[in-house]
Amino acid sequence: MSEPVTFWYGCNVLRHGDIIHSCLDILRALGFEPSPVGGPDYCCGTVKDANQTAAAGMATRTVGRLNERARRVVAWCPSCHSHMHDFMERGNDRHFDMTYLVELVHANRAKLAPLLVHPVPMRVMLHKHVGFNELVPVNRMLPELLGMIPGVEVLDGGYVAPGYMCASFAPLPKALEDIHANTVRAAKAAGADAVVTIFHQCYRELVGLDAAGATPVYNYIHLIARSMGLAYEDEYKAWKRAGDGAAALIGPDRLAKVGIEFYERAVLPELKKRPVLR
Amino acid sequence: MAPIGARLKEFQRSEVERILSACTRCGKCYEVCPMAQYSKAPASEGKVVVPGVLAVLRGEPGSAEALGWIAVCTRSGVCVPACPDQVDPRMMMRLARMTALGGRGEPKQIERKEDRDYFDRIRAFAKLQLTDDELKEWT
Repeated sequence: MSEPVTFWYGCNVLRHGDIIHSCLDILRALGFEPSPVGGPDYCCGTVKDANQTAAAGMATRTVGRLNERARRVVAWCPSCHSHMHDFMERGNDRHFDMTYLVELVHANRAKLAPLLVHPVPMRVMLHKHVGFNELVPVNRMLPELLGMIPGVEVLDGGYVAPGYMCASFAPLPKALEDIHANTVRAAKAAGADAVVTIFHQCYRELVGLDAAGATPVYNYIHLIARSMGLAYEDEYKAWKRAGDGAAALIGPDRLAKVGIEFYERAVLPELKKRPVLR
Repeated sequence: MAPIGARLKEFQRSEVERILSACTRCGKCYEVCPMAQYSKAPASEGKVVVPGVLAVLRGEPGSAEALGWIAVCTRSGVCVPACPDQVDPRMMMRLARMTALGGRGEPKQIERKEDRDYFDRIRAFAKLQLTDDELKEWT
């Protein structure tokens, strides 16, 4: 019998519908019945460091909503997972068990192994950070999971980035440039065909390296999904590569949902942004 | 009934009190930090920087070195095992950042560029990536 779980995917991964859909399929294949929730209405509040009254309100609302669902919560986002651990559950009564997706998939790797049927011939370097790994040992678990995919060879580039994920470096461009340069350098030195990120926040930043032609970049879910035969298109990468041409890929019907003015002001600059390559 | 957020604020207050009592200002947390090099006011010794961080936690003005470090903390957590006094410097820096940004009711000491489109951009991507039914049921 499948265990019902709440899949709390977070906010910013909504840029990557393929990752959310793949995670749901993977969870189902591992014997879970995932009910997905996320977006700003389920925000953990971690982005509100400058307004703790707002952060506390968001935490109370989200913990309350997750409590109402009365089932185990599987978190995707490292920010949400660590904020729950550090702050949200300190100010609210949490009535659900919680785990992180990598942790759950790793614990069920014996069930995952026979599902990884399609070879993915690729020598990859995992993009690691020093933070978060103390809460969930993702830097150990992910190479083990990726190594189960037929054709994948995981190479150690010997580089671990500072911080706990790349998006928090947005206000620190020099540090982000260093991460980009060190990641590309380490991947090339290791002989990797591609860089694989753990977190969507890193994928969002590093996929610019892919768009700029520095190195192919994937999230680990992309490789697991490909090996399982899941065929969700990575539209964010396609839009990022297209830059100004993304509107044609998105199409007028979807653009109309967002509004052209907002798309051009707030979405397109992100799609056109490229890393400084050294 | 306590106002929303009262427990969280009490937790933060008690953590500040614990950190102020436990920290011996040895500066090892700063010295192992991989982000210190990006500070606008780097220092050669952690002993020079940490007292300013504790001042921020007390609601007092922080030194340039302390505010520079607080501004570049990205939660690496390398400081946690380096601390000989189990202060949890990662929590210390997080609370100092909240305080310096004015988030805990004290005067703002560091600036952060607000992204007015942050949540609307997420909603826009959701509209581009999810079906109407998924938007209704999942978000």
